[in-house]
Parts: sequence; structure tokens; C-alpha cells
Amino acid sequence: MTPISRNGSGRSSLATLICGALAATGLAAAGVATLEPGAASASSHREAPLISGDPQHDNTDLYAFVSPDKPDSTTIVANWIPFEEPGGGPNFYQFAEDAQYDLHIDNNGDGQGDLLYRFTFKTHVKNKKSFLYNTGAVESLDDPDLNVTQTYDIELFQLKNQKVKYKTKLADDIPVAPSNVGKASMPNYEKLRDQAVYKLPNDSTSFAGQADDPFFADLRVFDLLYGGNLTEVGNDTLKGYNVNSIALQVPTDMITESSHQPVVGIWSTTQRRNAQGYYSQVSRLGNPLVNEVVNPLKDKDKFNASAPWDDAQFLKNVTNPELPKLIEAIYKIPAPKEPRNDLVDVFLKGVKGLNQPPYVRPAEELRLNTSIKPTDSPKRLGVLDGDNAGFPNGRRLTDDVIDASLQVVEGELVGSKNDLGDAVDKNDKDFEKSFPYVALPTEGSRGPLAKGTSSGNDVRNQLGDALSPAGASGSGDNMSLIAGSAGAGAAGIVLIGAALMWWRRMRRRAY
Amino acid sequence: MSGSTTDSAPENEHDGSSETAEPSAQGAEEKVTAVRRVSEAGRRWRAAQLAGCAALLAVALTGGSIAIGALRDGGTATVASSSSSAVSPGLMASGDLDAGIRALQAHLRGQPKDFGSWATLGLAYVEQARTKGDPSRYPQAQQALKKSLELKADNEQGLAGLAALAAARHDFKDALAYADRVLKQNPYSERALSSRIDALVELGRYDEASKAADLADERRPGIPVFTRYAYVHELRGDVRTARTVLEQALSTATTPGDIAYVATALGQLAWNQGDYDTALTDYARALAADDAYLPALEGRARAQAANGDRAAAIKGMEAVVARYPLPGPLVGLGELYEDRGADGDEAKAKDQYALVDAWTALARANGVNADLDTALAAADHGDKASALRAARAEWARRHTVHTADALAWALHVNGRDKEALPYARQATATGYRNASFLYHRGIIELAAGDRKEGRSHLGSALKLNPGFSPLGAREARKALKEASK
Repeated sequence: MTPISRNGSGRSSLATLICGALAATGLAAAGVATLEPGAASASSHREAPLISGDPQHDNTDLYAFVSPDKPDSTTIVANWIPFEEPGGGPNFYQFAEDAQYDLHIDNNGDGQGDLLYRFTFKTHVKNKKSFLYNTGAVESLDDPDLNVTQTYDIELFQLKNQKVKYKTKLADDIPVAPSNVGKASMPNYEKLRDQAVYKLPNDSTSFAGQADDPFFADLRVFDLLYGGNLTEVGNDTLKGYNVNSIALQVPTDMITESSHQPVVGIWSTTQRRNAQGYYSQVSRLGNPLVNEVVNPLKDKDKFNASAPWDDAQFLKNVTNPELPKLIEAIYKIPAPKEPRNDLVDVFLKGVKGLNQPPYVRPAEELRLNTSIKPTDSPKRLGVLDGDNAGFPNGRRLTDDVIDASLQVVEGELVGSKNDLGDAVDKNDKDFEKSFPYVALPTEGSRGPLAKGTSSGNDVRNQLGDALSPAGASGSGDNMSLIAGSAGAGAAGIVLIGAALMWWRRMRRRAY
Repeated sequence: MSGSTTDSAPENEHDGSSETAEPSAQGAEEKVTAVRRVSEAGRRWRAAQLAGCAALLAVALTGGSIAIGALRDGGTATVASSSSSAVSPGLMASGDLDAGIRALQAHLRGQPKDFGSWATLGLAYVEQARTKGDPSRYPQAQQALKKSLELKADNEQGLAGLAALAAARHDFKDALAYADRVLKQNPYSERALSSRIDALVELGRYDEASKAADLADERRPGIPVFTRYAYVHELRGDVRTARTVLEQALSTATTPGDIAYVATALGQLAWNQGDYDTALTDYARALAADDAYLPALEGRARAQAANGDRAAAIKGMEAVVARYPLPGPLVGLGELYEDRGADGDEAKAKDQYALVDAWTALARANGVNADLDTALAAADHGDKASALRAARAEWARRHTVHTADALAWALHVNGRDKEALPYARQATATGYRNASFLYHRGIIELAAGDRKEGRSHLGSALKLNPGFSPLGAREARKALKEASK
């Protein structure tokens, strides 16, 4: 649009010019419509982005369990970068180079870390002139066609009173499993992933790379019920999204205080290098849902910056939680009586006689009693269903922490039996039987999953089943779960959806 | 209407615009006559008349879109298929702001009590205004934020949104107050920490801004804080730190919006130091992420001009002005025409300057405070007296290096060099390496009789960034030569 007329005089073109220019921009709208000072902003000051993504430094989930196929070892899985779209090129998903990805272990219950595994990453670009992630089919991790690669180092710190007593480098330059670009680029992704499983010297094993997001829940249910139309199905769930995963398997006796005190408390953090050159903790995660559902909005950022030994500051959020009151106000499900010492046990101290260490200091950690043997038939509700090898005794990949947490928050442990849940009871992909256990990432060539109409294991089908109105042919288990909740099932789903939306949104800080 | 800034807006808004576009095209013909008639009646009157034209046009164009209001512009047809998408969590940060806004609008139709999403929507509108140069989003933003705070008083997201909105409207005192209110609740709020730095910078409270930047950096390192941190350092002349931090920010930027913004900031920094090749590389990086990012397009045109590629610069700046006729780019383009000096260029340049006048008049006619850029543009190419009025008004509001420079220059063009001198010195006192400030100071010093200082500052300006402005640089060289005789 060059609104200068060639043959007109300068002046005659002027009106056209002005009108044209203003019309083209909607700037006029500002002037006329707002009648407010300064509305027509100019460029004299820097206007930085208001909405910035920071997924690389965002802990999404933490899992810790006694390895089912190697019961003398403990596996920790920590995830970052939520909502990875398969085929998210051109750069795909990488661990940040300016971050320290830390796994903390408190083995005496004092709320302080005794061991710290630190993962730091480096990115390597073979052909710096190319923006391409890979330049041909990738057959192995050192394939020259894999243009962008990452490696990582692992350090182990032994701490006392939060001071480093001893520091060892466990490994250098271990290759990271790449993002799964698709079949054409990576015809045998499983092989690449196997190559990224790395034996450490002390009978430990580590893995870092992309994986299917093991977290399972239905975010869409939220809207659908609000919309009051159960036959309308959504297509936006965690299914089909990947995460970046760090998995570590260590001999259990390396991390416990002693065979007499087998309970460890675990949490993960991300520290980011700031402009002044120091590292600041920007994300923290132990138990699922604590920061999301237990802490009110104003404390979420503070929680992310804080450490378990200071968690007394959040005690009130646990003893007098917001969520059940909110649920009561909206859905008339009575909130259990306060103070909620049952929640303090689950979220801050561990359950007595199960995973509460002696002399425990209340602190938000994922507490695992490593002496409880893994079971061949894990139950998704874990301890609530009598399966003590599962959540909240640690957390297995298959544990349905949404349902379990919700039931606990709504008073399952203090006499308010309920069956609240989200009708999604397991991950869409099966987990592996051996380390690193997480499922292979969904590959890029599957197409745009968020649109949700892919063939095969279609999101829509599954959801449709789960949500069919009573009487329609649906998945029996799911329906009975919903129906069995004494009229509160639907509300349960709604609020779980709400909490989850809240959770994931906070996590991403996407507002 | 190819330049419509609401390209992503749903059907009914498009319809609204195209319906109103026709009468305005007809109106344009009438206005041509009006302008002809008025042109004989002197400059002031002409500006007023033009403003009238623009205002009428504006009413015609935008009555619809304003009436439609915040929610409606999401349209109803567009969302049916995409579900009542509950603000798909990744959306807002994933870079597709328009899709995010549509999703939020759809979500809020079903969930009108979701105060968090109202705040998000308000903020998204502010962001859209920023990236598209479309301030008509501000009232919509205000409505959404107001709604959020009605639903939940003093909620953090709503207040943080208001801080961002106030800053976008250059109401920095309010922005600071809102940011402080948020920080009282949540000392780690990234947005409030960032807004606080912005406000202090724009109020000229640089020491406090620097402390605020350090604190924000300790609490929430990340792109929003890094870019502010860099600017605070640049303002003090610490270009090296600014560049390092921006490069750090760029290396972790993942969304197109972030990449475009940070790379553009790097380009501007390089351009300010006269490093045009680096600037062009940075702008190319920004445009690779978002090829419609206006600040990068403008910056690239300026760097091309400084590098001697005037044809490309003019083409680029014409494209910017066609979409975003703000005083800065208009003056830039006008000066490029003048500098080229081909047949008809003078008239074209005058058109641009007149458009600045029209824009200013339009803004004033509607109670909008003329901005700094307006004062500078008017000082060089418009009504000198009004330039001084604007500069004084802005100086009364805030004492920054930019307002000091504008006031100094406005005083100078009105022949009040002795008065101008202290302001010109103040503009360069922080060490901010800005060739235009140095040029203004040098010229004012020469005019006030201080040849030595004047020569020195003109020399510094030309050494720092010899292509800072096609006409300014020419003037600077001429004045330096004469002063050295």
C-alpha cells in the first residue's frame, strides 16, 4: 500500500494518504474511541513482551518408585517442558543450557537435601549454517545427519546443612535422546532411545531425552460439563504430547540413610542463570498438585523459589486449603473439617507407619519408603486402594494421582468417602517394563495431534466413550466411577478439570 | 484493506471494516477538496481540518468494532469447531496470540466468571496492541481487566494486567502503583517485577530502576526480566552487559514473539553503536521468527539507510508506515525521501510530515497526550511552538533522558539555546550512547556559543552512529565543518 498518487499534486494526494494510512491501521480507532491519554502509543519506550514462554525451566512432574524389575534400586523420573507438540520443529525441544536441572534427596527427614544430582546440558550444532534439526535419516545418536544434538553431565553433591561436603562428577557428555521428528527422519527411534540409556560407573543408569508425557488426565472434560453437552467431545488433552525427561536409577542403598531408615524424600528443581551470572531457582516440584491445588495463587511463585525446609510458611495452605471450600461453594460437596492434619501427613510428612521418616520436619517432598517391594499388579489409586507401593508412597508412572489427590483433598482419609475422578485412568501409551520406563515419544509424523482427528487411537473415541451420557454404550468402568460418586461425580469431574486447568496454566505461566 | 491490523480478527469485525471502508473512500474524495480549500488558509488550519477528516474517518471505520466490544470480536462462528477450548494452556505462550485470544474469548463465553481468564484476555489485548501497533485494543483490554477485578477484587493477574496496560498507555505512575500492589501480594510475580522496572525507567528514576532490575533478575531470571535488565544497562552506557544479557535471552527464547522481540532489541542496540551489519543480522533473525514484526521492519529500514542502501530502506519504511503511521517511522520515511531528493520527493516528504501533524492533531482532538516522538517530529518538521508545548508537558510528567532531550531540542528550535543547554546535558548525563542526543547537544552548544563542547559532541555523535538520521547526520557534518573553520 503506497498511497502516493503519481500525477496528483503533493497536496491532493495528502488527504488520500492520510485517510489511507489511518484506515489501514486502525490507529484512528485509538484516537477516537478511547479518549484516553496516551492511548495512541508511540515507540519512545521499550515495550517488552508480556507473554513469554519459559517451558524449558518448568518442572512438570516427578516420579519415584522402587524399580519393578530391579527391586534393590530406586528410579527417579523428572520431566520438563510441558505440551511438546510432536513435530514442533524446526528446533524441536531441548534442555536449556543456562539451567541446572536438580534432583534432591532428603534421607533423614529434616527437610534439607542430603544428596543432589545435578544435570547440565550442552547443545552441539554440526552445521551452524543449517537451521535443520536433521539433514537426513538418523540411524544412530552420532549420525552426522543429526544436526542438533545435546549432551549432559551429571554431578553428585553430598550436603550437610545445605553446604556442599563432597562433590563428584558422575559422567561427562552423555548423549541425549533427540526429539522424535518422525518416521522419515528417524525410522527406528527406539534404537536411538536405547543408545541414550547410559550406564554410570556405580551401577546406576541414566537417561535424558524426549518421552511421551506420562501424566494422564482429561483437560477437556472441564468445558464439556460446563457446556452441559456430554456428547460433544473435545480433542485437547495431554495425550499425544511429549515432555523432556530425565530418569535416574540408583542402587537404593546409595540414597537411603540406612537399612533401618529406608524413607527418602525427593524433589526436583530448576535453577536458571540470571543476568548477573548467579543461579536462581525458578521451579520446584515434589508431590503432584501441591503447588497447583494446595497453594493459592499468590504463593505459587514463592513456592517455586523456595526450599522444603522453609515450607512451614505454607503450612496454613495445607491445614486450611482453599480448594475444598471452593468446591463446597460451587458444587455443594461439604468441605472436610479443618485443620486438615490428614493433608499435612500426605503432603508434608508422609503417612505414619508407611512413608513418614522418624523426626520428620514437615516439608513438601515426594516421600518413598524404599523397603516396600514393588508389586506385579499395581493399583492406580495406590495406597487408597491398599497398594502401598504406589502414590502417595512415592509415585509410579501408572498412579492416577489426579483421582487419588482429589479424593484425599475431599476427605477420603477422614471419613468422607468419595469416588471423585476425571474418568481418565491410565496413560494412552503403555510404559516400558524396564528403565527408563517412560513410553517412547509420539513421533512428529503423526500429524497435528492437537486437532485430534488422527486415525487409530483417536482421542475422540476414547473421550466419547468416557463421556457418553448414561444409557449410551460407554466404558463401564468409567461410567460407574462417575455414577458412583453419589451425585457428585459430574461435579468432581468439573472441579478436577478446573484444578487441572489451573494447574497446567500456572505451570506454564501462560497468562 | 491489505494493511488491516486485525487480520486475525474474526469475520464480523472484518465485515464491519469492509462495510465502512467504502463510504470512507468516497469521503476521501470530498476531503481532497477540503484539503485543497484549506491549504490556502495556513498551516494551523490545515492541520485542524486534516484532523477533522481523520476523525470522521475514524468514526466511520471503528464505530463498529468498538461497539462490538471485547468479547464479540472473537466471532461466534469461528469457535464452534474448535470446542469451547479452555484456554489451552500452551496457547498463550506458544506464540500464536490471535489463536490464544480467540480461544480465551470462546472460553469466556461459556465461563464468564473465570476471572483469571479475563485477566489473561486483557493482557493478551495489550500484547496484541504492542505487537501490531493497534492501540484500539487498549479499551478492550481495560474492559477485560476491569471485569476480572470485579469478579475477584485485587486479584494478582488483574492488577498485573492493569500495570501492563498503564505502562502501554504511558501512564507510568499508575503502572508503578499497580506493580507495587501486586508485589505486596506476590513478591515473585514476574510481570509485576518487570512492570516495575519499566515504570521506574520511564519515570527517569534510573537508580531505583537498576535496583529493581537486579532484584527481578535474582527472583525471576527470564526473557521479560533480561530485556529490561539489558535496557537499564544500556541507558547507563553499559552496552557490553546489555548485549551479553540480550544474547543470553535470545539463546533461551523459544516462541516467535520472544525471538522477534529479543533479536530486535539486539538490532537496536547494535544500530545505536553504528554497527549496522550486526544490526541487519539481528533484524534478519527477528524477521525469520516473525516476518511481520513491525519494530524489526522499521529497524531494518533504518540500518539499511545507515548502510547506504537507501532504496531498500525506503521500500521497507513505506511498508511500515502503511501499517503503522506513527511519528517515528513517518519522520524516518520523510527524511529518507528528502535525502534522496528525486523528483517529487520533497512533496512526498512533506506528506509524511503533514501526516505526523494530522496524527498529532487527531491524538490531541481526542484527549490523547502527544507523545515524545511527536514533540521531536514537530520540532524538526512541524509546528515549533506546539513542539515546545508538548515537550514541556512531557517533562512536567517525567524527567527522563528522552524527555530532557526532547525539551532541549524543542527549546533550541524555538531559539532558546541557553535554556536548552542544561536539558541537553541532562539527556546525555547517564552515559546513554545515543547519537541523536549527542547531536542535539552539540548543535545546542554551538548555538549557545560553546564551540569546543559543541564540536566534541557532534564528533562523538558521528563517530558513534554516523547514520543515526539521514538529515541529522548531514546537519551534524555541516555544523562540525563550520565550527572547525
